[in-house]
Amino acid sequence: MRKLRRLLSHWQNLIGLGLVLFFVGVALAAPILAPLGEKWENTRFFVIPDMKEYLPMPPGERAVLGTVALSVQGRQLDVYTTLIWGTRSALVFGVTAAFLTALIGTLIGAISAFLSGGGVGESSAAGQMASHVILRVTDAFLAFPVIAAVVLFVQMVNFIKENAYLYASDGLTFSSTGINLLFERVDPVLLALILFSWMPYARMTHGMVLRIKEKEFVQASQALGAGPARVIFRHLIPNSITPAVVMATAQVGGMVLLQAALDFIGINAGSEWGSLLAIGRRWMLGLQGNPLEYWWVFLPITAALVLFGIGWNLLGDGINDWLNPRLMEQE
Amino acid sequence: MPPMLRFLIYRLLSIPLTLVIITMVLYGFVMLTPPEARATLYYSAGVDLNKMSDEEIRVLNERIINRFHLDDPFPLQYGMWAWNLLRGDWGYSAIHREKVLPALLRRSPVTVELALYSLLFFIPLGLISGVRAGARKGSPVDGRFRLAAFTAVSLPPFVMAITLMSIFYVGLHWFPPQRLGIQSTLLVRAQEFRQFSGFMTLDGFLNGRPEISLEALQHLVLPVLTVSLGYWGLLGRVTRAAVIEEQHKEHVIAARARGISERRLVWKHIFRNALTPALTSSLLSAAALFTSLFIVEIIFDFKGVSSLVVDFSMPAPDAPMLLGFSIYSVMATLILMLVLDLIMALFDPRLREGVISQ
Repeated sequence: MRKLRRLLSHWQNLIGLGLVLFFVGVALAAPILAPLGEKWENTRFFVIPDMKEYLPMPPGERAVLGTVALSVQGRQLDVYTTLIWGTRSALVFGVTAAFLTALIGTLIGAISAFLSGGGVGESSAAGQMASHVILRVTDAFLAFPVIAAVVLFVQMVNFIKENAYLYASDGLTFSSTGINLLFERVDPVLLALILFSWMPYARMTHGMVLRIKEKEFVQASQALGAGPARVIFRHLIPNSITPAVVMATAQVGGMVLLQAALDFIGINAGSEWGSLLAIGRRWMLGLQGNPLEYWWVFLPITAALVLFGIGWNLLGDGINDWLNPRLMEQE
Repeated sequence: MPPMLRFLIYRLLSIPLTLVIITMVLYGFVMLTPPEARATLYYSAGVDLNKMSDEEIRVLNERIINRFHLDDPFPLQYGMWAWNLLRGDWGYSAIHREKVLPALLRRSPVTVELALYSLLFFIPLGLISGVRAGARKGSPVDGRFRLAAFTAVSLPPFVMAITLMSIFYVGLHWFPPQRLGIQSTLLVRAQEFRQFSGFMTLDGFLNGRPEISLEALQHLVLPVLTVSLGYWGLLGRVTRAAVIEEQHKEHVIAARARGISERRLVWKHIFRNALTPALTSSLLSAAALFTSLFIVEIIFDFKGVSSLVVDFSMPAPDAPMLLGFSIYSVMATLILMLVLDLIMALFDPRLREGVISQ
């Protein structure tokens, strides 16, 4: 309870928590806030039916926050509905990506630290070697820009899908190859983001676990006959997970912002917010001379994105304060 | 052996190792696809898929599979592919109708120029403002800095790009997008204009046409700002934290007790020691820097390296170019990391001697 009060005593933490709760609320209440009903043609972008207009429409009766015109067809995309339902998909994407990234990174870091010997665990030469290899691979992955991975994955999937008919040569139906099975079930962007952002977690957990391994309670548990799995999962990970939790919380926002950015530059990453911004791009940077002429095309969604990022960032800082009392006293 | 040389050799040796690991992972992914898909990686110059029937493509693929043994197990195939990479044969892009490596190299001055100006902009600014804020923790200067840095870190590059563009381009007409205006682009492409370095800000002067350099600089303002702001905030915050931590160390207290001037204390005793952790932890993300560079490049319509793989008008995915782009990005990141490591080692003898590791 005292900890909780300390978390709430800083206004930054309060704002962070408030923003995150707000977005979670919007995501949960999406069907109430923006009912799709029969009024909406339910596609990814919520086209307003029976409306043909080549300019974005300002906020009005038929669209609370205005619309964005989908170039040639003169179809009108509703900003408000995209904003509300986009929250849901952004939240799901961000939390999934950050959680899985943290999970993989923490596991890899813990295992490599456990193998490296000293204190407890396998202190064999093979273990040391394995730990060394894991660390080298981690460092190698650190040099890989995420955007290259995402572009590679997304385009490769497109490539395979487009050329599927060429591969039916040896009687093997194409859908049975490994990568196709994988990408049919998993979003390539999510996969790329997870596979190429776990490294900081691994390095951090590695360092933490090395320190904790030396502690007496871990050695005692091992002396009592606990196996490696029990030592890793019961003692090493729970005691070294704090920084990973903090980092993952802050990263939820980062993942969503990156996804939106990828959509904005034309890589189909599945972010409704980012796609709508991309479609509305020509209306925000036309040569009208007044950047706010079509403000509803980009302001609401940009604001949502920025607040989303800030909210999770502040919450991450807050959790850090909460779990690290030493920091609070220094302030 | 002098410590600096040993450091350099160790760093240089670790680069090929990293590259081997990364290319193995990449080719591992490629190996998941059927051999027919992999065949595109070996097309030679001049292959035009649009002019070929499905049957012809199939025959061509079959020939390539037999010739390059694409049915072999992973180590053999990887070895073959890596050997080609080493010889500079990165494949041929049937979509861009260009060999992959020359295409990447031709466009890299654009990206490198953008990166250089960003680094030269945000590293000094981030260090100076971080030290100033950290040295006077709790003062109004510090408060203003923390707010500014937090805002800068929270705004994602592409939102920053939209905002800056709508204010300074649409609203004020000060800084247009793209690398150069239409007229200058034509001028630059002409025969008489010699591309010495590929950096427009330099080549203009070298060709005796300073107005082109100035125009290139004007076009660089917004992209550089967009890339730099976030990194300025990050570096500034880390520097601030490092400076605050350093202030409680005994050597600083001793120096203060000896009556050293505050200015000398901050820059000679605190800053020098805070520099390494500050630069290390914020530049570990050199790869993230390239991610935002590529995003900014596309938004501001700079025809840089990333435009080869991210292009609205691209008819189909381009497998050889994609792999080439990935390897290129990794190499660029590694080179950047190496340069920054060397700079830090020059400043910090502890790194050279291997007393502290990164």
